Amino acid sequence: MKKAVMGLVIGAVVLVGLALWVFKGRIAGNAQEVVTAPIVLLVVGFAVYLSISRLRSRRRGEPGEDELSKSVMTRASSLAYYISIYLWLFVGYISDKTMLETHSLVGAGIAGMAVVFVLCWLGVKLFGMKNE
Amino acid sequence: MNNRIRELRSREGLSQLELAQKAGVRRETIVFLEKGKYNPSLRLAHDIAKHFGLPIEEVFLFDDNVIKSGA
Repeated sequence: MKKAVMGLVIGAVVLVGLALWVFKGRIAGNAQEVVTAPIVLLVVGFAVYLSISRLRSRRRGEPGEDELSKSVMTRASSLAYYISIYLWLFVGYISDKTMLETHSLVGAGIAGMAVVFVLCWLGVKLFGMKNE
Repeated sequence: MNNRIRELRSREGLSQLELAQKAGVRRETIVFLEKGKYNPSLRLAHDIAKHFGLPIEEVFLFDDNVIKSGA
């Protein structure tokens, strides 16, 4: 029950934050923020997909999470962390070669990390994890 | 490592969902196991083998000639 309430609260905060962000970006006419919105939508969509998938499993009488789903998350997280190190190295490298401000670069790096995680998760699901 | 889960499940007329519920995992885990995309924990392997009334080594087939990476 506590987990469900926490999930709802976090979900609501993320959705309200996303709505404010996109709305503010449009009003200010900030093209960069509007371009970044699909990435955030992808990440939020991913979280919504995971939540719905868990709910459906529970309705079928299965556990919401099991050893495979936890292993996939762990493997995807470790892979994403490893790749993100190179992503940040790249961001550091281009930081003095671009006109982007520091906060934009940090935002791009964080969005990049989120995309890398989603891609790693998809990769682990697609190719499996045999540990051999 | 290969396994005979699909064969044993079919023999008993069990669906993937039913086996998943008996083993306490999600159906997706059974799908991954049958496709050979995931090696289960010892606990899950034990539970599945116990359900079929067989020892683990008759459900999960180890190829002793395969050299494990990192070995």
